[in-house]
Amino acid sequence: MAKELKICLAASAGGHMSQMLKLSNSWKGYEVFWITTTDVIAQKLCESGKVYAVGESNREHLIRVIRSFIRCTKIIFHERPDVVISTGAAVGCMTCFLGKLFGAKVAWIDSITNVEQISLSGKMVRYISNLFLVQWPELAERYSNVEYVGAVI
Amino acid sequence: MIFLTVGTQFPFDRLVRAVDEAFDNGLVGEEVFAQIGETSYRPRNFESVASLGKKVFDERLKQASGIISHAGIGTITMALDNHKPLLVMPRLKKYGEIVSDHQLAITRRFSELGHILVAYDVEDLPDGVRRLKNFVLKERIATPDAVAKRIALFLRSLVTNGE
Repeated sequence: MAKELKICLAASAGGHMSQMLKLSNSWKGYEVFWITTTDVIAQKLCESGKVYAVGESNREHLIRVIRSFIRCTKIIFHERPDVVISTGAAVGCMTCFLGKLFGAKVAWIDSITNVEQISLSGKMVRYISNLFLVQWPELAERYSNVEYVGAVI
Repeated sequence: MIFLTVGTQFPFDRLVRAVDEAFDNGLVGEEVFAQIGETSYRPRNFESVASLGKKVFDERLKQASGIISHAGIGTITMALDNHKPLLVMPRLKKYGEIVSDHQLAITRRFSELGHILVAYDVEDLPDGVRRLKNFVLKERIATPDAVAKRIALFLRSLVTNGE
């Protein structure tokens, strides 16, 4: 069994996390740890690996973004994942970039809520991702290097 | 019982007040239990709490005959997974209820596909509540396993290439 990958699973609490949890079959057998926003769901996640809660963060609150970014940097520096898998949003986006900086491969699953265009975070991550999945077929036609294989929800 | 839930990140008084007013006008015809976030608005007609633990939340959801909620995808997913008729009011940026209008797009698409009912604003709510009782939702056929398989394939390719 392939145990040699260390995977960082990054998703904000709420809808992004519900979508991530629907994908849990994909990382079975690998070592994982979580980066999320609040510790509300930490207990449930703990069963599969270590959980880091870095606080809510969105582009309206610069201070919070900076605080989360510093926390994520420390975590990624310390953990050195081989892969980052994220469903968004802001925290997922920064984790992807930080992971990439430290040599990780990046898989991004854009949220189902992005119907007409991919998310702002996704637009940035697309440039550095190794796998980029969308959940509406028309989005895969619109953007290059974007795949549609189905919807999580 | 109708379960009204707005999520915990921000309050959503526009929706809570609209349901309260529909109640005043005798349009609800059923008990309501509400999770309304940290807000000063207190509904006159039904019991409400700021937030709920996951276990109690799940119980309320299962007991409910219908759900009224904001258009958070987490809530929509839970309602669909439990085959509950759902009436959604999207949070809007212009009212300061959310930082972007992303709830609008998914609301439109899911209602076009027949998965949910929508009240875009307060004036649509009474009609939505009336329809909720008899709403037969179109089951959503999602394929999370296909997506998980694609990711697993990607992970395997990394292991193989890394050797």
